Amino acid sequence: MQRRTLLLGVAAAALGASACTTRGTAPTAAPGGTAAPTAGAATSAAAASGYPTKDITLIVQAAAGGGSDLSSRALASAMEPIIGKSIIVENRPGAAGSTAMLHVKSQPADGYTIGFGPVEIAMLGSLNYDIKPADFDLLGQIMLGPGVLSVPPNSPYNSLQEFVDAAKEREMTVSNSGPGSIWEVLGSAIAAETDAKIRPVPFDGGAPAVAAVMGGQVDAAGSGVNEVKQNLADGKLKVLALFHSERHPELPDVPTAKEQGLDIEIGGWGGIYAPKGLPADVKATLEDAIKQAVESDSYRDIITKSGNLVVYKNSADFEAFAQSEFDRFAELLNP
Amino acid sequence: MNAYADALASLLEPTALLCFVIGLGLGLLVGVFPGITISMAVALATSFTLTLEPAQGLAMLLAIYVSAQYGDRIPSILVNTPGTPAAVATTLDGYPLAKQGKAGVALSVSAIATTVGILASMLVLVFLAGPIAAFALQFGPFEMFSLVVFGLTVIISIASRSIAKGIFAGLLGLALASIGTDPITGDARFAFGNNELMGGLNFIALIIGLFGITEVLDQVFTRHAHKVRPISSLGRWWPTKRELAGVSKPMAQSSVIGAIVGVVPAAGGDIAGLVGWNRAKAISKEPEKFGKGSLEGLVGADTASSSTLGGALTTTLSLGIPGDSVMAIMLGSMIIWGIQPGPSLFERRPDIVATIVLIMVFATLVSTIISLLRVKTMTRLLDLNPQWIWGIILVFCIVGTYATTNNVWTAVQMLVFGVIGLVLRRLGMPAGPVVLGFLLGPLAEANLRRAMLIGSPVELLTRPISLVLLLVAAGSLLWPVWKGYRDSRATKAADGGVN
Repeated sequence: MQRRTLLLGVAAAALGASACTTRGTAPTAAPGGTAAPTAGAATSAAAASGYPTKDITLIVQAAAGGGSDLSSRALASAMEPIIGKSIIVENRPGAAGSTAMLHVKSQPADGYTIGFGPVEIAMLGSLNYDIKPADFDLLGQIMLGPGVLSVPPNSPYNSLQEFVDAAKEREMTVSNSGPGSIWEVLGSAIAAETDAKIRPVPFDGGAPAVAAVMGGQVDAAGSGVNEVKQNLADGKLKVLALFHSERHPELPDVPTAKEQGLDIEIGGWGGIYAPKGLPADVKATLEDAIKQAVESDSYRDIITKSGNLVVYKNSADFEAFAQSEFDRFAELLNP
Repeated sequence: MNAYADALASLLEPTALLCFVIGLGLGLLVGVFPGITISMAVALATSFTLTLEPAQGLAMLLAIYVSAQYGDRIPSILVNTPGTPAAVATTLDGYPLAKQGKAGVALSVSAIATTVGILASMLVLVFLAGPIAAFALQFGPFEMFSLVVFGLTVIISIASRSIAKGIFAGLLGLALASIGTDPITGDARFAFGNNELMGGLNFIALIIGLFGITEVLDQVFTRHAHKVRPISSLGRWWPTKRELAGVSKPMAQSSVIGAIVGVVPAAGGDIAGLVGWNRAKAISKEPEKFGKGSLEGLVGADTASSSTLGGALTTTLSLGIPGDSVMAIMLGSMIIWGIQPGPSLFERRPDIVATIVLIMVFATLVSTIISLLRVKTMTRLLDLNPQWIWGIILVFCIVGTYATTNNVWTAVQMLVFGVIGLVLRRLGMPAGPVVLGFLLGPLAEANLRRAMLIGSPVELLTRPISLVLLLVAAGSLLWPVWKGYRDSRATKAADGGVN
């Protein structure tokens, strides 16, 4: 009886400690949201001196435990010593990430609410959502997960060119992680560039899409590197091309699409964004802290281990990049 | 066997043991609170365990995973509120049992059923991982669709009192699930330009609303009309030998059902529990007791939903396909720890597989003991004044569902589902089929449409696994009809007119 009480006590303490990292701030965040439109100007002026004076909230568009969450938490913990305040990661999943992005948009532009913006921030505008990169101040790109095209182990195609040539004759089924996902765009990009006939088959997530290739149910799959790495080593599938400017350290033997004469780069990138109209000094402080955090060993370690690449772009470059991606996706998603 | 000795040594060091104990406590707590799901607890713990050694981290995450399977049964049985989605089917017979003053036996039997389910599924993981991985890869969109069709036939047996009302409730679930983003084209459906609706309705809000909130509302509004008998009596807390013997058949059957459902990607304990309950009813000598407090029904549900654990682990480890939402989170951690899931994991890292199995077995055994010890304490909670109980349930349900998304809209949905649930209950419509329709509708639709993108409809009948599943589905639809016909003839023959 006593032991049981003790055990529950320990557990309750642990639950409380871990729960406050995501939930503790929620009640204070909600009233802030409603006051946003009027308070915006006043708080930005106040923030100009000595930013930051309090903790910063980093909104993540996905549930705790996923890839976006891991990247965000790795960045947050690397940024904390640089910026001198706590960065509280808050998960607001739902509606393809738009819930979180609209929430950030509604917050005062004072630098105390920032968000992790995945590639979807440049895609949702073409998918019925009212979201575009120009709605926000983009502070810096922090990572990139390039895409790959894989085929079943017994597939007759051994190079991207062979696959594309065959796809001009016969329509190919290509699985991806979901409708409107970046890996669906991968197929559309190949089709747009080469006149190959590609029929996208959306699955619910990247792993099931790759399993469909391993089970031979589709002709090919578009996915990230993580989903194929071990299966490639085990001979359960063949990877035809990597859609990045250079080869991936985890897949040194897989040629890039560019090496095979097809200049396409597609990847799931991620960066940090904030409500539009940050005061210049706040923006500079955040931009610099993000840059330093991205260069830290602890951040690089987590990102590399999770199969992604550490790719940094400063605020201006990231804004230009996100805008060009937005324009490109608008064509590929709504041909 | 050496791998197991090494794994045992790595688990017996103090940090790993502490992680195990904390995980166990967390899981037991989390399961009890409706709305707070196992995936949330595991996700929160992940941010902490990433910095640990694999054995230590796995000890905490898997202990949560296992022990929460025990906690979530408690509110299902005592207050008709599933602690997690996996315990939806537990409410079907667990709550009626509690209402009859058999809460003690129900809790004990549920714990035993869960233990048998998890341990049986560990055998699957240890001995059948290879063939199962190959089998799971055969499960393409055609096979998934046929499996889901079979799952949908469960609606008929949950709706035993009125098939028409059951089918209506099932259709309501299917309709609710169609709100949101089209699974293939990505177009918005029934969202009316509302951003929240584009993401679809929230499953946790649906089950907590339809079961927990509905129960509270029902009690509040019927208090003066006719007195609801308070469930305070613990009754016996240990089942008789005869009761245990009676549940052995559904226990064995549900172990197999859960193992199979667990292997299938995207199908977890929630679906397995309902299918297990349904199949237990089909083989029972007293099917009329199901839904009114049958121990066989309780065991059928709980063993099946818990024996998905081994299957879910198997597909996660051998294919890198997360078998359920908890596994999806654990997969991320394992990759950071340098454990690459894949068909070769079982040869490459026997130490990791052994560690996982040992943690699962220990966590199961310890959870069983704690669950049986706490039966009396838990039932005593119900001696509280009903107003207090309603208040507590409401607060936990609201806080829990809010916490799943940090969004008030989710809690609002839950309250709306509570009201809808009350209306349905007054109309005599069961909530089970709504949940089943909501859960399976999107799987059926997405997989059928994927199948049509890949091949032709004929393949539903030419692919062997698909054909077998469709035949089983047809059988389980026609069986009650045939049985009803046979029974009515028997009744006529016996000249007994009273129904």
